[in-house]
Amino acid sequence: MRNTMKVAKWEIKRNMKNKTFLIGLFLTPILILAFGFIGSLFGGSDDAEPSATTVYVHDQTGIYPALEETINQSDLNWEMEQTDIDEADVESILEASENTAFLFINDQAIETGVVPVYTSDEIDQFFINQVQVLTTPLQALKIEQFGLTEEETASLLQGITFEEITMEDAAASEEDAEEAEAGLGADPMERMVPGIFAGIIMFSVIMTGMATFQSASQEKKDKIAEIILSSLTPSDLMQGKIVGYFVLGIIQVVVFFVVLLPFAVWKLDIPIIEYLLVPETLLLVFIAILSYLMFASIFVGIGATMSDISTAGNFQGFVMMLPFAPLVIMGPVLSDPSGIVAQVGTYIPFTAPGVLVMRLSTLEQWPWIEIIISLIVIMASVWIFMKLAGKIFKVGILMYGKNATPGEILKWLRA
Amino acid sequence: METMLSVKNLGKAFKDKQIIKDISFDVRKGEIMAILGPNGAGKSTTIRNIMGIMYPDAGTIDFQNSNGKDIPRNKIGYLPEERGLYKNVNVMDILLYLAELKDYPLDKAKERALSYLKKFDLEGKDKVSVEELSKGMGQKVQFIASVIHEPELLILDEPFSGLDPVSQELFKQEIRSLAEKGTAILLSSHQMNLVEEMADRLFMIHRGQKVIYGTMDDVKTQYANFKCTIHGKNAYDDLIRILGVQRVEQEDDKSILYLASDIHPASWLKQLPEQLAIQELTIDRISLHEIFIDIATDKNLLQEAGELHA
Repeated sequence: MRNTMKVAKWEIKRNMKNKTFLIGLFLTPILILAFGFIGSLFGGSDDAEPSATTVYVHDQTGIYPALEETINQSDLNWEMEQTDIDEADVESILEASENTAFLFINDQAIETGVVPVYTSDEIDQFFINQVQVLTTPLQALKIEQFGLTEEETASLLQGITFEEITMEDAAASEEDAEEAEAGLGADPMERMVPGIFAGIIMFSVIMTGMATFQSASQEKKDKIAEIILSSLTPSDLMQGKIVGYFVLGIIQVVVFFVVLLPFAVWKLDIPIIEYLLVPETLLLVFIAILSYLMFASIFVGIGATMSDISTAGNFQGFVMMLPFAPLVIMGPVLSDPSGIVAQVGTYIPFTAPGVLVMRLSTLEQWPWIEIIISLIVIMASVWIFMKLAGKIFKVGILMYGKNATPGEILKWLRA
Repeated sequence: METMLSVKNLGKAFKDKQIIKDISFDVRKGEIMAILGPNGAGKSTTIRNIMGIMYPDAGTIDFQNSNGKDIPRNKIGYLPEERGLYKNVNVMDILLYLAELKDYPLDKAKERALSYLKKFDLEGKDKVSVEELSKGMGQKVQFIASVIHEPELLILDEPFSGLDPVSQELFKQEIRSLAEKGTAILLSSHQMNLVEEMADRLFMIHRGQKVIYGTMDDVKTQYANFKCTIHGKNAYDDLIRILGVQRVEQEDDKSILYLASDIHPASWLKQLPEQLAIQELTIDRISLHEIFIDIATDKNLLQEAGELHA
């Protein structure tokens, strides 16, 4: 273990003194920031709120205050005003205006249940849907005319809905009832923020994980492995590299956040810090770390089989693509986080960490059974891959100037 | 003398090919022990097995002061045949790292590194990046790395290959002085002249098996017969008939007579036929170099065949 730490320390020191690494360290977040900033420059005009829809109401029934209240409660971007203009004059006015509508509410409209709406040619495409919110106060007015009490009115307006309750839900719903109520209005970002955080950690450490590949093949190319191995065992060397590059990945993450977080807090209207400091973050970060260990050991093993990335064969190239497997199924997973693709992805070692982070960031209810099985799958694969990588590394690192064929690698694994 | 390393009946095969077989030797404190042999004889394989970089199929390797089968890595210095250094780091950093891996105190390591750099004509290069060093300079740095932690046992695999004569001399002196200070040194080489000058004992290996093992003097008396070189025009038949001559090699006017092992030079000279044309005559022992070439090219067999002919 002491030797592992020595190697780790050396790898960290060596990289922190390396200009290429340092430039990359700061350039990545700055580039992201720069692109975000440039994006907002160009997108500036589009981002501005669309102009409000002006809605004139010719009210002869005295319902206007109720309507106004309804509109205020809803989030509609409306400017509502009362007007005296007659239906006859409307056409000429609308021709000259944009994003404008006229509602004519009179006794006849209440009685027939049909409210005439005149709109300009240019109008919010959802306007006719939006206007439906006014149904409730209008219906209320209509019912009131029958002389019912307020309670009777409310009961009537509530209507009938059908709710599906399976046996499973029935048990869960009791406990979750309170929680769900609280969560109903919850910001989806509350789950997303820890997920994005874990995603960034995962991305950074996997990137540096790929550097373990570089480092191992460099060791071969520089022919120093035998000198190093006269002082420690191959597994010390391999573990040292994995630990060292993990710390470098974390340094990258820290720099990332030190640079990006202030801007994110400033630009985005989300309480990022509060969302981040939740227990869920711990689990997500744990998954990210496991995923690093898995890919880093695969890479360090593969790195030991070749002396140069440019001579990598198809097999090695394929292995290098493995960490990007979750991106391939990202679409289906995000659109249906409980769907079959997502569930299968949760159990495949290479995709499990990525898919798990995506699902946990989007799902309101965490499927604990699936999470636990997935974690077991990931941890078992980490253990297996570390063992296998150790075997490949031990032989491969001393095979100077020659790449190993898949057949040879297979033979080492069996040894 | 204390035995620092003892190798017994070492054997190693790759697939069906036996690389080394039944190799046994000791390395003692304060002596220089040389493993000699042509390319591919199994020298590096033997050393890698000692270092635990390969695992032997047969035999045992015992280190003094080491209990159990763990290799006392911190007490061994190793300069492998295939050697290199990390490229984009400076010389002092890598020396200190390698010393740290051996658990050697860093302040002492720094001091030793500086004094060695000075000794090897690399003063002021401690802050230079490794990739700026020439091959020879790199080799000096590798040598320093192998001795920086004051090892009790130093294993050098082909330390002289690729060095210019001046650097070779520097290495020889340093290796000798380390041995004088009590370091046990095991070195492999195919450069016989260098080994002949400095080794106390030698182990010659050919096709993975022992050919000669013993002290340099023993080997010379045992294996190195006398040879007599005569400049002058003489017939092959006249020469081969002389008593005690085993083999004759002729080239223009020069004849080399290889003598049998029981020949006493003074009495042999007395019985030379008077009609021999001699412009110049030298008599000396066969050098290690010749023994080596003899063995490596299987001339022993040829010689026997020649004898049969005669």
